[in-house]
Amino acid sequence: MKDKTTILSIITWVVLLSSVSILLNDLREFDFNQFKEFQNWAKSADKNESWFTSKNVIQWSYYIISIGLFFLKGYLIYGFSYFLSILKEIENGHYFSDKNIKYFEKIGHIFIQYTISVLVLRFLLAAIENSTFNFFNELKTEFTFLIPAGLAFYILAEIFKRGKQAEEDNELTI
Amino acid sequence: MLAKRKMKSNELADIVGITTANLSILKTGKAKAIRFSTLEAICEALDCQPADILEYVEA
Repeated sequence: MKDKTTILSIITWVVLLSSVSILLNDLREFDFNQFKEFQNWAKSADKNESWFTSKNVIQWSYYIISIGLFFLKGYLIYGFSYFLSILKEIENGHYFSDKNIKYFEKIGHIFIQYTISVLVLRFLLAAIENSTFNFFNELKTEFTFLIPAGLAFYILAEIFKRGKQAEEDNELTI
Repeated sequence: MLAKRKMKSNELADIVGITTANLSILKTGKAKAIRFSTLEAICEALDCQPADILEYVEA
């Protein structure tokens, strides 16, 4: 069992580090010069003009949403890091611990929150770009598999709650 | 029953093959269940019937 958890920990570390490096690369490729443009515009903007319809603000919103997407990717990686905590608990022999139940629930929350937030942000991006947003096409994209995965983690948390109860009963059976 | 047989808790635990901690759980009524094998071993060690060591208490 310990060998398996070691292998799983190594795989999780590889996945985590790969995800972090992909995220950092995406950030590096992101055009930060646009922020300077925005700052210049903010200084010279006509205060009488309606800010909401201003082209620069719309462009700025595009970047804010992009940053939001980066943040969410980081949040998802944070969710993956809980796998390591679960593996550590298993390694210590605490299979049905309260911590594991909490971690499973947290992973479920993060997966579902990530998917819903990305869907909302993609909708906003499409609205800003004046492109069409097809909800069902978005659902077909690869990231939406995280909704059933999140639900699976909720189910696992419930199973572990029952397992913990059974373990306690077993410990108190003499 | 232990007093009647002039037996100490740790002696009974040794004969039955359970730890003194588990015997204490049994004595204090904290146990959720008892295996037939444990019950049989206790009855054999104390030379008694299950009814002599089990009691129904209304909750």
